[in-house]
Amino acid sequence: MRKYIKTAHLAAREKTNGGVVWLLPEILIKAATLVPLLFLWRAVLTSGAGSAGMSVSQILSYTTVSALLSEPLTVQTKASGWLSEGVILKLYGRPLPVLGQLAAQTVGGWLPNLALFSLPTAAIAVSFGVNLIPASPLFPLSLLLCVSLGFAVDLLFSCLALKLRSIDWLISRLRQAVAAVLSGTVIPIRLLPFGVAEAVKLQPFASLGGAPLSVFIGSADTGEILVLQILWNLILWPAALLIWRKSREGMVSYGG
Amino acid sequence: MADKVTLRRILRLFAISARMDMVYLLRDTKFALLGILGDLVNNLATVSGVFLIAARFGGIGEMNADEVLFMMAYSTLSVGVFTLFGSGNNIFISRIIGRGQLDHMFTQPLPLGVQLVTGGFAPFTGGGNLLVGTVLTVISVSRLRLAVTPLWLAALIAYQAATLAVTVARSYIVSSLAFYAPAEAEEISSVAINDTWVVGTFPLSGMPKALQIPLLTILPEGLMAWFPALCLLGRPPLGLTGLYPVLFALLLSLTAKRIFKRGLRNYVQKGSSRYLPYGFRR
Repeated sequence: MRKYIKTAHLAAREKTNGGVVWLLPEILIKAATLVPLLFLWRAVLTSGAGSAGMSVSQILSYTTVSALLSEPLTVQTKASGWLSEGVILKLYGRPLPVLGQLAAQTVGGWLPNLALFSLPTAAIAVSFGVNLIPASPLFPLSLLLCVSLGFAVDLLFSCLALKLRSIDWLISRLRQAVAAVLSGTVIPIRLLPFGVAEAVKLQPFASLGGAPLSVFIGSADTGEILVLQILWNLILWPAALLIWRKSREGMVSYGG
Repeated sequence: MADKVTLRRILRLFAISARMDMVYLLRDTKFALLGILGDLVNNLATVSGVFLIAARFGGIGEMNADEVLFMMAYSTLSVGVFTLFGSGNNIFISRIIGRGQLDHMFTQPLPLGVQLVTGGFAPFTGGGNLLVGTVLTVISVSRLRLAVTPLWLAALIAYQAATLAVTVARSYIVSSLAFYAPAEAEEISSVAINDTWVVGTFPLSGMPKALQIPLLTILPEGLMAWFPALCLLGRPPLGLTGLYPVLFALLLSLTAKRIFKRGLRNYVQKGSSRYLPYGFRR
């Protein structure tokens, strides 16, 4: 375990090697996205047009927690980029499982943003009256299942990257599209119109970010969400491992 | 000795970029089409988020769902224009600076500015969003029963040009940091362009002025779609003139030119520290 913690520590250090100042643009843009989004929801929900089935307080908590935990909620390892850059080959040369290293690297990479953006933003949000106390004690479990499923989905996208000759930016764009609509991290799935909510709530991406967020604000049946999350983990992990094992033989790396 | 730059020469350079883009499409059609599809899906997912909220609640702030659709159409068009002219890292300029690739451009017998303007033109692989944006614009305009006159079309083109100018100018301002810190700032233009795109799709109607004003000045995301869309709908927000986006774009472009030139002077004097003598990138 110590080796994984050290790997995570190195990944966190890597992000701040050039100085914390280089993280500021990303942090400022995160803040500049969160604040208008909160006001957008407030404008929508206080206009009185249509029933949301969620209170203003709930949606503000949902949006804030989504921003605070954006990276764990939509897990994105560097695997698909590392395939083309050749970095992935280094992982094969180390005495640790490749996927374990990838997970440790990813979690370590989250730490600077969690420390520099999430903690201060959480403090500010609470001072503005945003409720950041989970409605259910099962939120940590749901978050854990979400992260686990996120790694499985990421592995599947990496396999897709291998099939598509490591076109990282294409995979990245597809993932962003999925995160924007199907995972519920931007718009809660139950608020989607035209019957879309019913159609997408059972698909695997709905068990990612949107699931723990719904548990956090208590807007959905926690038991049903957890069952779906466990089910998708049980289906996608074996599938991801099997496809990865078959796909990695076709890995072509280059870089410099 | 640099070539003489005439309008004819510039058009020929655009034609060369277009031909190279077509060759890429024909040589690797499957992957080129996948790239176009990826761009389309990504943009539609981004704009559909806001539209779905508007559709669900009958509008956002003082904008009804059809007006929000028009704004999303404007946003898609602007992404299309951006991709059409910016497919070669010429707008993500920090990548070129950070990787030391300006040196490659200095060896060409053309002024740097001309290379940057013409080098990213991709009408075949970069035109997808422009096409979808046009279709969405036609649909939303017909739903809103807007009177499309030559003057209105000229205003649409002028606003699109202003939106592109703001995007480019802001990218060049922050990318100038790459002249001084090439490794750390190599990707800063993608932070300035890609990471702010979502905020640019937010209708600011119904938000407090204390938030609207910074989003039209310091972080001008309100100029990416909201402000110009409302101008085209005939009601410029905040009591400002409809010329505001154009004036802001002009001012920001002049500022960008000044800052970029200063950085470029530093680069010309000190060179790029990014590569080791035997070729590897630091």
